[in-house]
Amino acid sequence: MRLNQKWQVAAENELLYHSWGDEFVVYNGATGDTHLLGLAAAQVLLKLQQAPADTVSLAEWIAPLQQIEPDDEFVFFIEQILTDFDSLGIIEHTQL
Amino acid sequence: MNVSALTPSELGSRLKEAGLFLQAGPFITHIQTSIRSVAEGIGLLYADYPIAEETGFADFHVCLTPPGNLRRWFRPQVLFSFDGRIPFKPLPLDQAFPMLEWGMNWCVSGHSHQYLILHAAVMEKQGGAVIMPAPPGAGKSTLCAALINREWRLLSDELALIDKADNALVPLCRPVSLKNESIHVIRKFEPGAVLSREVRDTMKGTVAHMKPPAGSVVQSHVTARPAWIVFPKYQPGAVTRLEPQPKARAFMRMVESAFNYSQLGPQGFQMMENLIDACDCYEFTYSNLDEAVAVFADLKLPAP
Repeated sequence: MRLNQKWQVAAENELLYHSWGDEFVVYNGATGDTHLLGLAAAQVLLKLQQAPADTVSLAEWIAPLQQIEPDDEFVFFIEQILTDFDSLGIIEHTQL
Repeated sequence: MNVSALTPSELGSRLKEAGLFLQAGPFITHIQTSIRSVAEGIGLLYADYPIAEETGFADFHVCLTPPGNLRRWFRPQVLFSFDGRIPFKPLPLDQAFPMLEWGMNWCVSGHSHQYLILHAAVMEKQGGAVIMPAPPGAGKSTLCAALINREWRLLSDELALIDKADNALVPLCRPVSLKNESIHVIRKFEPGAVLSREVRDTMKGTVAHMKPPAGSVVQSHVTARPAWIVFPKYQPGAVTRLEPQPKARAFMRMVESAFNYSQLGPQGFQMMENLIDACDCYEFTYSNLDEAVAVFADLKLPAP
């Protein structure tokens, strides 16, 4: 996976969210699936709903919210979240 | 008129000929059968239920019959039909009454999408309802049977019906299904409980059904406000323990217990969201029914 490749929420997906504390549930209207997300994963998804973004810029945006440094380990963590979302069909690559 | 107004002979004749229009919760089931054990089960466990024959309307038309072949005499069997169709394989004739109960549950869970339907027991006390979803073997029905013999009102042992209009829990008060050791546990816990004859070697082991308290049947039209979600787990020898369950995780477990969450789409998500918001959520481990009842008696209604 190229870190500078941008991601967006897949066009057909209509997502509904609800949070309790640091945990979220998200419903994907396109598949009918519901997913349990931690705070970082929810932040990734909410950011991608606003605009397409690549892994590094997502890490740089989310790290301060988590009060940590956006080091390589954190970038890898965000990349894993993106890989999971991709495998679930929630996000897709974009040329934007 | 209630079922108890019919003599056993009248009940048997009615089931055999025109059929019985049985009102249980919001549903009328039209039952036809000539099988004596089914008539006995209905006469014993549904004595307090109204007969709804006036309109001739029924939500479900079901029939229990012996197959019309050699099976009538050799290891006799029973067939369950719904609207003239046969959705299940036949079972041994001795299992006819449990098959009626399972079939009636199937009718509701598969066809009543005006509700969000969960595989859960529901009981109510002082305006608050506890929902207990659980996989088979978790001790849900045993705990439910104990609680309804100790001041809780039975809404359902198997199916939580949540009204789309107002998220209220709609009673579907029917006999409580007890399995294997639970039968003896409940007989010992409440010697006055009325249980049907034990049926052995079913797909669930030995089963018996417990008659619901008459008060719960009478209040079958009274909905309840969801207040607690409790995931029960029976563990032999376990210390009684009630632990808060994070709401998002409770949401996901509730989705797993829902029959028609997917069919309801975004509405299902929103209804589940409202339900979880309204309830305090817990995991409950128990082995002693008296202690379990005491813990439930101490539950405090969540702030509205």
